[in-house]
Amino acid sequence: MDKGTDHLIVTESLAKDYFDGGAPVPAVRGIDLTIEAGEFTAIVGPSGSGKTTFLNLISGLDAPTGGKVWLKDKLLSGLSGNELSDFRRDHIGFIFQAYNLIPVLNVRENIEYIMLLQGVPEKERRERVGEILKEIGMAGFERRFPPKISGGQQQRVAIARAMVSRPELILADEPTANLDSGIGAELLDMMRDLNRRTGMTFLFSTHDPMVMDRADRVVTLHDGRVAKDDRRART
Amino acid sequence: MTLMLRLAWRNLFRNKRRTLIAGTAIAIGLAALIFTDALIRGMKSQMIASATAAFIGEGQIHRRGFRLTQEVDLTIEDPASVMAKLEQEDAVGAFAPRTLSFGMVTSPANVRSAMVVGIDPGNEPSLSRVDDCVREGDFFEGSNERDLVIGSGLADLLEVGLGDRVVITVSQAGTGDLSQDMFRVSGVYSYGVKEMDEGFAFVRLAKAQDMLGIGANIHQIALKFEDIDFATREGNPFWEAYSAGGNEAVSWAVLLPQLEGILGLVWISLAFMAVILFGIVAFGIINTLFMSLYERMFEFGVLRAVGTRPSGVRRLIVYEAGALALLSIAMGTVLGFVLTYAVTRTGLDYRGIELAGTAFYDLLYPVLQARQFVIYPLAVLAFTMLMGLYPAHVAGKMKVAEALRKSL
Repeated sequence: MDKGTDHLIVTESLAKDYFDGGAPVPAVRGIDLTIEAGEFTAIVGPSGSGKTTFLNLISGLDAPTGGKVWLKDKLLSGLSGNELSDFRRDHIGFIFQAYNLIPVLNVRENIEYIMLLQGVPEKERRERVGEILKEIGMAGFERRFPPKISGGQQQRVAIARAMVSRPELILADEPTANLDSGIGAELLDMMRDLNRRTGMTFLFSTHDPMVMDRADRVVTLHDGRVAKDDRRART
Repeated sequence: MTLMLRLAWRNLFRNKRRTLIAGTAIAIGLAALIFTDALIRGMKSQMIASATAAFIGEGQIHRRGFRLTQEVDLTIEDPASVMAKLEQEDAVGAFAPRTLSFGMVTSPANVRSAMVVGIDPGNEPSLSRVDDCVREGDFFEGSNERDLVIGSGLADLLEVGLGDRVVITVSQAGTGDLSQDMFRVSGVYSYGVKEMDEGFAFVRLAKAQDMLGIGANIHQIALKFEDIDFATREGNPFWEAYSAGGNEAVSWAVLLPQLEGILGLVWISLAFMAVILFGIVAFGIINTLFMSLYERMFEFGVLRAVGTRPSGVRRLIVYEAGALALLSIAMGTVLGFVLTYAVTRTGLDYRGIELAGTAFYDLLYPVLQARQFVIYPLAVLAFTMLMGLYPAHVAGKMKVAEALRKSL
């Protein structure tokens, strides 16, 4: 079912309960939120406030126990398992806290992986990998394996992997948590620059003040509800 | 997808020790299968050679009905022309005419029934191994028509030894009258098979024909071929050609159905061994794949999150099982070849052991064949990938959010 709006993400009374010994434990309690295309948004809040669960729900990694999510006008609960996989592949890029590159694939193969799933021809894959590596300052690292490069370099590759398929939405979970502040700031600036130039939407789950400082919008969650939604003018 | 294959192959070496242990278990199973197959093939050849070379031959020609009734009247039709024809057969290495009749062998101490076999001492050694097994005296080396060669078991039962006299009584053809004659034990053989050592008495062909009153007729022509496989070759016209004019020609497979049965049982026991062996190995494979799966659950979560379908994850696990199989096959075929080849050089000593009425008289040598290195490795590959289906099913059903719980 299409929502019929221009918003990138729309949630309506979104709720998720976990069950502990049969008793429901609410993690997200009826969130109504709209994210516009091109936003650079930080979801913040204390541990247990529902940030991760919220990101899982809007990316289709987890199913809500109540409410609805529309992403690019698609009702996620209306998609089958394979359709959800394909939808994530084509429209969402993920950046994880611990980089989570596949250690047995080299830099090129890690970045190529999603394009392979998409069936992008080899020539185009090579060109796009070359371009994005240049963009993130990692040209010449194609054949290196993740354990042989630094944490900051791994996170750059993870960003490249998330962006190479040109998704509309990038979900980043604490992307700077394992990096020193200098490298973290550098990567955040790089992501904000990419956001400005490409129009890709970035949605962060974070505790990091550096992310909040750079965000156009900061949504604060508390006990699974939106406690504050602070929009800022773009700098 | 080649990247999936690369991923599977490389994942195999992330925990080298575990892969080596699991791979070695599979490899040992494969090597055992190759070796056992080769051993059974060697055993089969040895058993057939042993059974046919002892006395029966690789084929026989009789008068139709003789095999069933052992009637002394049922002599081969026109034996001279049959033997003349056999002389012209390239496939026939040797043949020996025989008479066969049940008779009573009487010594001063005892009396026993036995199969009295009239043989041509000139031809018989090329067909049977009785002459090789003579342990006392000789095998008709003199010209005495009353020479008698008996098995050690029969000699013991009759309480006779070399040079002792015995009386043989047989029933004559046509009239059924009893015919008796005295013989002197000129040789005692010990073949190692009870039936052969206790139940046979060999006399000269002419003397037997005379006692039985059958003139120049014979009951049996035992055959030996240049190639033992000739006897059991499918659609071989030889048997039909010599089953004419009231005669019947049959191969050893018809004469010794129990041997085929025993060999069939041996193959079934190999199949059981394979099932048990790989049943044990199966748990090792499943355990290895599950350990690998649970260790990398988060990684699988990442693969699913970025758009890999459940079927893609399942395929990856099955490919990993296949990669493990390929590694194991490489080790197992080398191990199997080295082990089997070494035994083909040394042989296994089963000499004197009786199985299904035949005794091994030579060292047992495994028979290496190319098919052992094709069929069993393919079976191992298929089996290992089959074992990968269950972990693959579990991986395909994983909940992505749970797999990623520590991160996103």
